[in-house]
Amino acid sequence: MKKFYSNKLAIIIFTLPALLIFTVMVFYPITQVFVKSFYDWNGLGSGTFIGFGNYVKLFQDTVFQISNKNAFIFSAFITIFQITLATFFALVVSNKRTKGRKLLRIAYFIPVVLSVTVVCQLWLAVFNADTGLLNALFKAVGINYQQNWLSDRYKAIFVIAFVNAWQWMGYQFALMMAGIKSIPDDYYEAARIDGCTTFQAHRRVTIPLLKETYKICLIISVTGGVKAFTEMFIMTKGGPGNSTYTLTYLMYKAAFREFRYGYGMASASILVLECLAITLLLNWLFRNKERQGYKNGKTS
Amino acid sequence: MEKHHKISIGKVVFAMFCWIYAGISLYPVIWLLFYSFKNNSEIFVTNPFGVPTTFHFENYVKAWSQYNVPMYFTNSLIVSIATVFLTIVCGLLFSYATSRMQWKGRNVASVYMSLGMFIPVQAILIPVAKTVNGLGLDTTRWGLILVYTAINLSFATLVYYGALKDLPVELEEAACIDGANIFTVFAKIIVPLVRPATATLIIYIFLNAWNEFILANVLVVKDELKTLPLGILFLQGTFTTDWGAMGATMVIASLPTVLIYCIFSNKVENAMTIGGAVKG
Repeated sequence: MKKFYSNKLAIIIFTLPALLIFTVMVFYPITQVFVKSFYDWNGLGSGTFIGFGNYVKLFQDTVFQISNKNAFIFSAFITIFQITLATFFALVVSNKRTKGRKLLRIAYFIPVVLSVTVVCQLWLAVFNADTGLLNALFKAVGINYQQNWLSDRYKAIFVIAFVNAWQWMGYQFALMMAGIKSIPDDYYEAARIDGCTTFQAHRRVTIPLLKETYKICLIISVTGGVKAFTEMFIMTKGGPGNSTYTLTYLMYKAAFREFRYGYGMASASILVLECLAITLLLNWLFRNKERQGYKNGKTS
Repeated sequence: MEKHHKISIGKVVFAMFCWIYAGISLYPVIWLLFYSFKNNSEIFVTNPFGVPTTFHFENYVKAWSQYNVPMYFTNSLIVSIATVFLTIVCGLLFSYATSRMQWKGRNVASVYMSLGMFIPVQAILIPVAKTVNGLGLDTTRWGLILVYTAINLSFATLVYYGALKDLPVELEEAACIDGANIFTVFAKIIVPLVRPATATLIIYIFLNAWNEFILANVLVVKDELKTLPLGILFLQGTFTTDWGAMGATMVIASLPTVLIYCIFSNKVENAMTIGGAVKG
């Protein structure tokens, strides 16, 4: 058996294709991001080493600051929107007595399977200032609230964040449904015998037990703000002015429009570091609380 | 009694809120379906919100025959299916070698492969475009297929690794005693046994590849190789005035994934959420 499992030829044939594709298309590129971020490089030749030059420029760039501010707004908006609604809907829909559960699930999840291009075009049509559905709706109902949704430099980022939140709420909803399904019914039985109302049972049993799910949801939505790109690319082109730039959009523009590849790589490496920091921070926060919760549980 | 009454009012309000949001979630999609059957005057003036008064099927005929939609559709189909196939084959082979076979460095190899879970595609956009260009793959479909495979491999190997760890070794041992070699065992025993994991991965990878935009946007340089998400963007820029036919192209682009979801809704939700959970 040992000989059977240590067939050298088989090992090479089995691992080589995956290793090769992954190394060439993911691992080598990510090392390039960090290496070339220290170079002044226009995409041709190998560029010149300039140390932290790109980073210094990046931190002085007002667009970089706008991008980070937007990442924060975007993250905060989608996190609050998605997690609140997803929690609420998952609690209602997972209740077997709710009518039309199947239909509600489908309604919430359908936007997730659409292409982001379709979603952006769709909402462009809705938010269009002259011909858009939303302004037409306000007019039809007689509310005087028509406006240029996407060409207002303060509102545009919220409008875009809404589009993203709308599309992916169903995803968080499905994650929570899966989390709730894994909680044994006995727990609710016990809570009911102890005289808990449904609300109390959810607050004391369901939500604390969904900690792992919440961690995942938070990582996805908070890093989602940092990584946001397609909505800006299709709906506003980063505008009006620079008001809807994100780190990815800044990187894209620098490399593919202005041929400042080194500068683009520097913002890409900041992107990786920010995502990593968020993931580590959330993991740490949740782990810490877990231990505390355990301690409290013991002493009380 | 009073308490009971209160709860039921609360329940009604909750249920109403759920249905209102369901409307917000679904109506834009239905609205798209409606306007794909309308002409411009109905979309903008006479009937922007409701069911089309006359169904203009010619929008679909026009989208299909004049707007290159069959070309984009075929490209998306080829790229998605090839990505699914390649990822599954490479992923399963790799996971079998790291979970069952005995060799030095197998732990290092599997950790190395799972690094991909922490790398956002946005971050590698520039160097990947350079690499694909350098290898001369940017004028073929292989550029997109290989990159999609690479970014899905980490996830696929993790899923297969988990599935293989749960399988008992006895079947393989028995086959080995009967004189089968490792390749036969793999093809005849392992491939059929991991079918549930394969089904999950097929759905997950297909949906992701079909809808992928960010990489395709920089990796596809030839018009004839554009996938549907790119095609829609291109058409929208070119034929801005023909809303009905544009709506029709978007419906055609969304149809495969929506149909897959409607038929296998539970499986799709599972596949997508496993993806998220592993990424966390």
